[in-house]
Amino acid sequence: MRLAYYPGCVSRSTGKEMDRSTRAVCVALGIELEELPDWSCCGATHVPNELVSTGLAARNIIQTELPIMTPCSICYSNLRNAVQRMEVPEVRSKVDAVLTKSHERARIRHVLDVILEVLQKDDDRLVVPLKDLKTAPYYGCLLTRPKGGIDSPEFPTIMEGLVKTLKAEPVDFGLKAFCCAGPIFMPQEEAAADIIYSILKDAKKAGAEVLVTVCPLCHLMLDAKQKSLERRHGEQIGIPVLYVTQLVGIALGLGPEELGLNMNSVSPMPVVEKVYERVAK
Amino acid sequence: MKGDAKFTNEVLRLAGLEVRTCIQCGTCSAACPTAHLMDNSIRRLVKFSLEGRKEEALASSSVWLCTSCLLCTVRCPRGIRPKVLVGALRDIFEREGRKDKDQAYEDLFMRQIMDLGRISEALLSAEYLLADPASAVQTMEMGLELLPKGKITVQKDRIKGTDEVKSIFAELGKG
Repeated sequence: MRLAYYPGCVSRSTGKEMDRSTRAVCVALGIELEELPDWSCCGATHVPNELVSTGLAARNIIQTELPIMTPCSICYSNLRNAVQRMEVPEVRSKVDAVLTKSHERARIRHVLDVILEVLQKDDDRLVVPLKDLKTAPYYGCLLTRPKGGIDSPEFPTIMEGLVKTLKAEPVDFGLKAFCCAGPIFMPQEEAAADIIYSILKDAKKAGAEVLVTVCPLCHLMLDAKQKSLERRHGEQIGIPVLYVTQLVGIALGLGPEELGLNMNSVSPMPVVEKVYERVAK
Repeated sequence: MKGDAKFTNEVLRLAGLEVRTCIQCGTCSAACPTAHLMDNSIRRLVKFSLEGRKEEALASSSVWLCTSCLLCTVRCPRGIRPKVLVGALRDIFEREGRKDKDQAYEDLFMRQIMDLGRISEALLSAEYLLADPASAVQTMEMGLELLPKGKITVQKDRIKGTDEVKSIFAELGKG
């Protein structure tokens, strides 16, 4: 399988381990990635004019003829939204007028969707079964929104399926598709901090040993801000938050370096060691 | 009280004519993850927009509390996209040259896309610090968390297509 790879802006900073683990997992699964030439920002959630935001996404879509894969739910949602919006003839003609070319039948994919396609149920490549690891999938918002995508925009379940394929145990929790408030955390820090505290507490109460995310902003909020929440609330939370590509990579037997596991704020290493101990038994 | 019809039409142009079919059921507000923080609910922003109550709409803190989660849009029984309506209000706010700290963040974000083609988060946080000095504590805290992980990198490299990006903003963002 050959795909155009749209890493997104955070791949170069706060989401380096997302980028690293995506590339490593794709190599391991025989997925050939070609980085999208001269890619630009999708606008994330900070371009309020929808036509401009559609134009920014469309500029990326026209850089390739291949299906485009991204590991970031925000980029994914914006690119999907642009494809949907450009079905409206008036939107299409306006956007096409400012771009060098037009796209036909673009296909936008999230890395999770690609992994689900290529990974079989009893895949020989899964050399490290994540035996009984209590894994809570956190979907956030934009993996499945706008609707019409790879799973229900209200009650998504595809990651539970993946978790089972990896021989881990999916943990369900009420706030698994509740917004992390990441897009407003710079100007509205306190409000956002309250929301992520609730999400982490909810997952912990449900018995999660590890959280899994599909979006670098959710990840930043749940992982990089976790210690600050612990200080603020005077309690230990201590839940490692892995990108889905890191979780899959561990099961594929890839090493901490290849998956950027040392770059997570809450170290996933104790959990990884536990997995290896269970496998050795 | 006579509403500002020009304002209503501008919102409809940006957010879609279907906004007129709103039945004020409040599903959008019920779905909203930040509704508890808002002065005027999303439902009221729609009402203000349709009634031409421009000042009430644009002065609402809710305009800046939307996280773009799209749940309102998923659930709206009329097929309206309230998140795009909030975007329209932000767009009008910005084009009229109104200022506040939320708008400042968005403005810096868009400027950086126009200048470089991509976002450098470190640069963005530093620039925002000047606009909102109260963000210093959280920025320092996050910086100290990310620095040892090698995740703070200031990239000032430009993509080749910045002219194209600029024309996307200029042409498609025209009032």
